[in-house]
Amino acid sequence: MATQDTIVVPTPDAVRRAEAGKGYWTRVRERLLADRVTLAVMILLACIVLMAVAAPLFATHDPLASSVLARLKSPGYNGHWLGTDEVGRDLYSRILYGGRLSLLCGVAPVAFALLIGGSLGLLAGYSGGMINSLIMRSMDILYAFPSILLAIAICGMLGSGLGNTILALTITFIPPIVRISETVTTQVRSAEFVEAARASGARPASIIRFHILNNVLGPILVYATSLISISIILAAGLSFLGLGVTPPDAEWGLMLNNLRQAIWVNPLVAALPGAMIFITSMCFNLTSDGLRTAMDVRI
Amino acid sequence: MWFFIVRRVLYAVPILLGVSMVVFVLMKMVPGDAADIMIPPEAPKEVADMIRARFGLDQPAHIQYLRWLQAMASGDLGTSIFTNQPVAEELFGALANTMKIALPAVFLGFSLGVLLGALAAYYNGSWLDKLFSGVAIAGVSLPHYWVGMVLVAIFAVSLNILPGQGMGPEGFPTTWEHIQHLILPVVTLSLIPMGVISRLVRANVLEIRSMEFVSALQAKGLRGPRVLLHIMKNAAPSALALMGLQFGYLLGGSILVETVFNWPGSGSLLNLAIFRRDIPVLSATILVLATIFVVINILVDVLQALIDPRIRR
Amino acid sequence: MNRRVLTGRRLVALTSAAWLGAAAGVAPAMAQGTLRIAMTATDVPTTTGVPNNGFEGVRFMGYTAFDALVNWDLSSADKPADIKPGLAESWAQDKSDPKKWVFKLRQGVKFHDGTPFNADAAVWNLDRSFNKDSKQFDTQGSAINRGRPTYIADGGYKKIDDNTIEFTTTRPISYFPYVLTTIFYVSPTAFEKAGNWAEFAKAPIGTGPFIARNFKPRISIDLDKNKDYWDKDRIPKVDKVVLFPMPEANTRLAALRSGQVDWVEVPPPDSIAGLKGAGFSVVTNSYPHVWPWVLNTARADSPFRDVKVRQAINYCVDRDGLVTLLNGTAEPSVGFFKKTDARFGNPKNAYKFDPAMAKKLLAEAGYGPDKPAKGKIMISTSGSGQMLPLPMNEFLQQSMKQCGFDISFEVVEWGTMLVAFRNEPTASQAANSDALNISLVSSDVSMVVRWFYGDNSTPKGSNWGHWKNPAFDGLLAKMESAPNADEFNKAVTAMHEILVDDAPWVWIVHDGNPRAMTKRVQGFVSAQSWFQDLTRVSIK
Repeated sequence: MATQDTIVVPTPDAVRRAEAGKGYWTRVRERLLADRVTLAVMILLACIVLMAVAAPLFATHDPLASSVLARLKSPGYNGHWLGTDEVGRDLYSRILYGGRLSLLCGVAPVAFALLIGGSLGLLAGYSGGMINSLIMRSMDILYAFPSILLAIAICGMLGSGLGNTILALTITFIPPIVRISETVTTQVRSAEFVEAARASGARPASIIRFHILNNVLGPILVYATSLISISIILAAGLSFLGLGVTPPDAEWGLMLNNLRQAIWVNPLVAALPGAMIFITSMCFNLTSDGLRTAMDVRI
Repeated sequence: MWFFIVRRVLYAVPILLGVSMVVFVLMKMVPGDAADIMIPPEAPKEVADMIRARFGLDQPAHIQYLRWLQAMASGDLGTSIFTNQPVAEELFGALANTMKIALPAVFLGFSLGVLLGALAAYYNGSWLDKLFSGVAIAGVSLPHYWVGMVLVAIFAVSLNILPGQGMGPEGFPTTWEHIQHLILPVVTLSLIPMGVISRLVRANVLEIRSMEFVSALQAKGLRGPRVLLHIMKNAAPSALALMGLQFGYLLGGSILVETVFNWPGSGSLLNLAIFRRDIPVLSATILVLATIFVVINILVDVLQALIDPRIRR
Repeated sequence: MNRRVLTGRRLVALTSAAWLGAAAGVAPAMAQGTLRIAMTATDVPTTTGVPNNGFEGVRFMGYTAFDALVNWDLSSADKPADIKPGLAESWAQDKSDPKKWVFKLRQGVKFHDGTPFNADAAVWNLDRSFNKDSKQFDTQGSAINRGRPTYIADGGYKKIDDNTIEFTTTRPISYFPYVLTTIFYVSPTAFEKAGNWAEFAKAPIGTGPFIARNFKPRISIDLDKNKDYWDKDRIPKVDKVVLFPMPEANTRLAALRSGQVDWVEVPPPDSIAGLKGAGFSVVTNSYPHVWPWVLNTARADSPFRDVKVRQAINYCVDRDGLVTLLNGTAEPSVGFFKKTDARFGNPKNAYKFDPAMAKKLLAEAGYGPDKPAKGKIMISTSGSGQMLPLPMNEFLQQSMKQCGFDISFEVVEWGTMLVAFRNEPTASQAANSDALNISLVSSDVSMVVRWFYGDNSTPKGSNWGHWKNPAFDGLLAKMESAPNADEFNKAVTAMHEILVDDAPWVWIVHDGNPRAMTKRVQGFVSAQSWFQDLTRVSIK
């Protein structure tokens, strides 16, 4: 499904940037500040994240307190700003709390995949030879599964739950990240300034830290931001199939799943969690676009 | 060129072996086997053992794997534990049903995507660009199963002009009744390819536009649309490649949309097999979908290599 | 010459009639006498005469195309359904040897292919499930048929004469005819022709009021009227029933509301008001189904080992609130049988939502404000007969808080739940749960034995919680060997009183089994049973 892992186009920019040195990040910041759309989106995103993380501060009701008499009420009913869900819980508060898990399902797999995939890619790119082949060929195997198929297969086999959802999505995201990180590392490694550093006797660790990591990070971060959007949608999709996060935890996909039967009773209420998934995912995509332009990255 | 193709195809063999291993290991991680799900507790142990023996679940793992691999390689996809029908029959029937929505969806997504992307790039910076880019980014940000639900509520129930579920008559869609059933799922399914392709085309066109040969063309006096045509020719290969990949994703990823529309395709077969722990169906479906995906990847590579010889390294 | 013209005209008339007929066939919404039903099943139940997909499969692919020796009488909506003669005309338990049963077969019954049903065919069908050396042995079918306890001894069936067979059971079982209601009989000749069960499934041949045709896996199956059905009172009124599997509730609703089907099983409770408003009829009736928490009395730390806690939690179920949540599609459950059932008896505890009583019992059991009774319940995200497991359990969790219960959940998917239910309550599959929320059948006494008999504990049987009550087991033995109906009923009632008072389960609700249909569907009698008679239904 929502997979944009397009073919990785080699990025000569990485090398160019590497040569540009420190001034690069300053220019990125300047360009970002000038991009008003991205700025606005990032502020909106920050608000969503803040409200989810600090849900107890912003919530008006206990997200678990139900009332059979106040089920599926429209926004504004008796102090429920966004109405109530299928067991009469305050939808506004649940969306806040649900945001925690949805964002977690968006960010955690990408973060883990970055950590694991990024390191594998670095290792493969830096060492070359056998190690490179070993890592890259195993990634090719994982690549042979269309992404959602892999996530569904893993969750279906291991069972539902937050942990398994994150695990499944992490495994799904590792291969593309390894590829990008390997490609960029290979390019940077053969760049003149790295050769020079090596020739001057720098240890591999410091070469990686100072030269390669610095250059690999940009493209990977841009890619990862757009992956978060995919991750949120995929996690919600797994919940929708009954393979994802399990109740009574609030999570947008699960709320959507539980509320979908209310689409005849109160369409507005039933559509809300889906709209939240959409808005958040859109924010991450737009941010990724903005970063891409600002960082002058092509993936 | 031939060397490239042969090498590419040969390389698919170890990949597929690896894929089969991953699938098998996944299947082994299932808590409880199909016999557990199928047989109520009081069934005598011999019945449970018979089911296990019949499907080879009582053998050591490596034997099971080798047997399974041998059967798969010889084209025998096994028998469904639940329906007792040959998996091949069920799977290929289901795949054909999925094709019915995946092909038009990719086609629609591709046409719309190229159109929107090219126009957006052509009018770069204008409000049209913003609108089309917005549509594209919405396409990749929307949870499409949710869109499907909303479309059903509007068009099938409120307006009652399109059927909200099912495939209608079997066979190749020729009648209006048949096509009616296709509309909502195809539109829903085309959102992602539309968004992805449109974004790629816009980026590519912008990039190519900034290249020297375009300036040269303009200097020669070629006007807007003609230049765009030239640009599109250059942007086509990567868009085509992406379309191939997206088609692969749709085959496996239509599972959510098929669930919403009760479409009897490969996605719903997979979903069913997961919940029933119908291992023969599950493993064969995943393996076949992955194989198709690998084949599509090869085709895409070959296509790209044909268009751009530099890739054949 | 004249004649030829006439013939020509008739030909035109005939072809246009045929064309019109074909056109009617293309637009199924308009087809006369076709009843289209959306089931909740994920697939067309197996068509081979051993339907899978649980009792819904039996409802739609069992009693429609096939018959059992003993059928259910589904003609009344007013009382719980009971059994009636099917392919067997009568039966009798041997007075001298209560393990022997003689069944007289109905004469003159023919399979859909014209071959006769007789003792040979009956034994052939039993071999299919019970004799693994027979060529018709059907591994999967056998698993389903023998999965529900049959108590048939090894080789315990034989032909006496063409119209008589004899069964031998493993122990005297007074309710033996009930366990034969889900074993169906198919045509041996048709199997010989097909060669194997996978082929037979494509054109199954039984004796039922409908003939199954046009089987499209995961899409639909047609049940054509069998106008030669042996029970003349039950010849179908419709020409055809088409069954569609639609596991998604929303999909079923959309199909009904947009006119793609005439009848849906289990519309979601929240949709009911809207459906009624839009002119659909919604039928509910009680049926023998319990939606309980099956308590774990085996795990060392389970609070439910103490009968006081089991009673306390039964006093802490806001059943009325739950029924409101379900928009009246369920009724409160305060025992295994319904309160109106003669077998309910007069237990000491009349459960209602009474937090004070619950607190008092909990205090006696040593729990209090500082020490809540903690319980982890395994619940499923969906599943056959599970109704709306998530909101219902979340609601219970909230209402139980005020009595001093601290309830948490282990949420699993349906398949995992079934695996847990198969294994011991202390096994790893149960994930340290103190109860399982699994809906179960309460149709007759055979089910009481299944779920509660002390010797029928998991993994050998289906008594998951390992509840064991000597008084109950004593009564059960008495009931199984009861010489007459009176003593049988007395024992059953006494057993049920123990079930309520000793509370091996939390009695929560009985499902009302809602169905929604268009006003075109007429004559449907909602029997108090898991099964329904489609032959009486007509379509306008």
